[in-house]
Amino acid sequence: MSKLTIGFIINGQKKIIETTPFTRLLDLIRDDLHLTGTKEGCGKGECGACTVIMNGELVASCLILALQADGAVITTIEGIGSGGHLDPIQKAFVETGAVQCGFCTPGMILAAKKLLEENPYPTEEEIKRGISGNLCRCTGYQKIFDAIKLAANRLSTRDGGRGEKDA
Amino acid sequence: MKKQGRGMATIMFGFGYGEGFPDHSIASVEIEDSGKILIRTAAADVGQGVLTVITQIAAEVLKVKPEIIRIIPGDTHLTKSSGSTSATRQTFFTGNAVKEASEGLLSNIYHYASIEFRSNHVELEIKDGYIFRNDNPNYRLSYWELADKVKERGDSLKAEASFFPHTDKPDPKTGQGEKLYVAYTFVTQIVDVEVDTDTGVVEILNVYTAADIGKAINPKNVEGQIEGGTVQGIGMALMEEQVIKEGITLNPNLTGYLIPTSMDTPRFVTRLVENEDSEGPFGAKGIGEPATIATTPAIANAIYDAIGVRIYHLPITPEKILKALKEKRKNK
Amino acid sequence: MKKMPKRYVGKNIFKVDAQDKVTGKAQYSDDIYFDDMLYLKIKRATYPHAYLRRIDISKAQKIPGVVKIITAADIPEVKNFGLIIKDQPVLIGIGRKMRYMGDALAIVIAESKEIASKAVKLIEVEVEKLEVISDPLRAMEKDAPLIHQDSNILATHYLEKGDVKKGFTQADVIVENEYKTSFLDQVPLQIEAGIGVFDPETEIIKLWAATQWLHDTQADVAQSLGLPKEKIRIIQPVIGGAFGKKEDISVHIHLALAAIATKRPVKFSYTREESMIAQSKRHPFIIQMKTGVTKKGYLTACQVEVIGDTGAYASSGLAVVHKGMYHCTGPYNVDNVKGVAHTVYTNNTYCGAMRGFGATQMAFAYESQMDILSHKLEIDPVQFRLQNAYNHGSSTPNGQILTHSVGVKETIKEAADMTGWKEGR
Repeated sequence: MSKLTIGFIINGQKKIIETTPFTRLLDLIRDDLHLTGTKEGCGKGECGACTVIMNGELVASCLILALQADGAVITTIEGIGSGGHLDPIQKAFVETGAVQCGFCTPGMILAAKKLLEENPYPTEEEIKRGISGNLCRCTGYQKIFDAIKLAANRLSTRDGGRGEKDA
Repeated sequence: MKKQGRGMATIMFGFGYGEGFPDHSIASVEIEDSGKILIRTAAADVGQGVLTVITQIAAEVLKVKPEIIRIIPGDTHLTKSSGSTSATRQTFFTGNAVKEASEGLLSNIYHYASIEFRSNHVELEIKDGYIFRNDNPNYRLSYWELADKVKERGDSLKAEASFFPHTDKPDPKTGQGEKLYVAYTFVTQIVDVEVDTDTGVVEILNVYTAADIGKAINPKNVEGQIEGGTVQGIGMALMEEQVIKEGITLNPNLTGYLIPTSMDTPRFVTRLVENEDSEGPFGAKGIGEPATIATTPAIANAIYDAIGVRIYHLPITPEKILKALKEKRKNK
Repeated sequence: MKKMPKRYVGKNIFKVDAQDKVTGKAQYSDDIYFDDMLYLKIKRATYPHAYLRRIDISKAQKIPGVVKIITAADIPEVKNFGLIIKDQPVLIGIGRKMRYMGDALAIVIAESKEIASKAVKLIEVEVEKLEVISDPLRAMEKDAPLIHQDSNILATHYLEKGDVKKGFTQADVIVENEYKTSFLDQVPLQIEAGIGVFDPETEIIKLWAATQWLHDTQADVAQSLGLPKEKIRIIQPVIGGAFGKKEDISVHIHLALAAIATKRPVKFSYTREESMIAQSKRHPFIIQMKTGVTKKGYLTACQVEVIGDTGAYASSGLAVVHKGMYHCTGPYNVDNVKGVAHTVYTNNTYCGAMRGFGATQMAFAYESQMDILSHKLEIDPVQFRLQNAYNHGSSTPNGQILTHSVGVKETIKEAADMTGWKEGR
């Protein structure tokens, strides 16, 4: 099998790595880089467990070839939060009971991050839509909405925004 | 046209394996060298939160912060059987086993502390992992210091316990028995729906739940079970069906087999009935399975209330609703 | 009775495993890697009901990177497995029957997932097709071919309390209906996966794979392989949901065999498709239910017949179907109850445990009946339930007298109160 070399930035780190024309981005992230927070739940882009942020967009890493990541900037769950400190979204997920089995959680948190970057003050309807590509079988989603609302509140307060809006 | 309806369902669920099965859970609790208290259990946490439940129970009994509790990762060679994470049984069974083991450890702490302090038990007090005499709270021993002294005496600070309640095998001819299940959980749900009579699409608006769970060890996690179970019930009622024709699955993927997404989540209102009157730990009963059971019939009844047709074959898809509405019009 | 206030019980302590799960650190089965690790894939049945006449692995074996292919001929001593009865073969041998599309015909172990998948496709199989029985009613007919050695009716359970005939004569209104439920998949987000490692020194096989019951899975793997229980060590990784689906053996025995055969770490991850076809389902029930009630709205009799399609293998089916029947009245006082429940083999994907274990299917029937009756009697559904609901001292369909914790009426009152039911209706 022909090997190809690609380069990209993942969670702020530059990587140059050999891959094949058939390797999925998901396998590169998990099998080669051992960033196993990114999960495989269906392999068909149906469930959102393999969600990562690539060049600012949410993508299902099971549907993308590793080659497409050449030159890209990628964030996985391991790139959220820093130095042992949780990101406000992660913290809110813990505090609101938004985590049960946790398998959807990394993808869900990345979807929430993207949502709050684009829309710092989402309504519940906007939150529902924002994470509708990510399946969760445990929680019934309500506590995930609660987590995103709480995180939005705290982030906007910290930024001097309209933190009191939903309080 | 959009029509709204309201339906209710009340259910029971006899939990634990019951039926005379030798259902039990074994747990042990010990003072660890590392400044932690170790619980050994094989109870599988599939996301429902049994590890959190037993942490709270052990912390409560042993009067330490939950952060002090460590639970050994499940391993057949380092734990004894805790039975399965099924039958809504872990809070009740492993919860009781951990409570009893914690009480056993606490008894031993008193026993050895009374030797160290040359004191009888009533003069001793425990606070935040320290034990001391009431008349001299400045001289105190931590559980870990006490454990070292106990070790010098050739013993160790630990306790194992099990919970093994009796149930009866039902009579094979009649199914009758004195005690088939260890206990029953009861749930009532009232569901508001909106049915689009042009498309047959059903939207679940509100779900009101009252659950008799004896006592919630962790109310937020009980709510999480109820919300998650309810949404699975919405799936069963409205969309989920693995289509198997002549032995072949026609929809073996999540595009063909739909489960609820965030767009399907209703507004939840939940109340817990807590009489603390069960034989579970602190009066608790299980909620895992009962959380999903009432939803499907409550939805079916709400759909009837909304449009006057009843579907007897799940799932209640838009096609079935449209067909039933058509027949209803024909019969008028 | 007011209880003492508590410090931690009854409080919303954060989940102890949440921190690991929000950071991606939590290790699920598929997240574990070993150096020199091999990958496993299964060649599965090609027809839902057929004798295996020939299996040819020669082409598959020739692919570079294929390390080993195991067929039934290689493991004559390995025994069937199963949760309650051992009716499920580890691999289907020549002259033996495949009974559903999930049955395993060969274990392929290779240097990569891709090679293993490619090799699976090159395994050639010849079968002698049999009538596929997909309908439990057909399975119950006298002339239906047998799926296993004995009757297709795996079990029949009975329920009888009081005198149901008398109960119906006391009734002023009787409602009888048939209810049907479907095959459901539990769909835990995590698909079945695991790793097997053979330790040549201790001859212990270590398995990292999720199970809802560690020691029971260990026992089933051990008896199937003919090994002492302590030679199978199962280490529980973090579990990505279960809902009943992780009660049954999935990857465990195949991984153990592969680890023994290759003496290298082996990983096996199902695809979602494989998980849906090969692992347990919620039993579809056909429920015939007849309920009698007096004019004043008191239940007098309940008669129920249940047929549960357990698919190709028993799994928990022996317990699920009659547990459903045992819940046939719901939480209501009914003096006269009669029931029969059949658990039936078919060539569908086998059915096992799923949240509610038969009681979920049954509630659809009894609570629909309650709604129908309350409309017929023109009694408010809340009132109708309240006046029939259990008290302390009530007796269940099994004749169990409820002595503790019977809060059903309070749940009805609380739910009605939340909705402002009186004004709302």
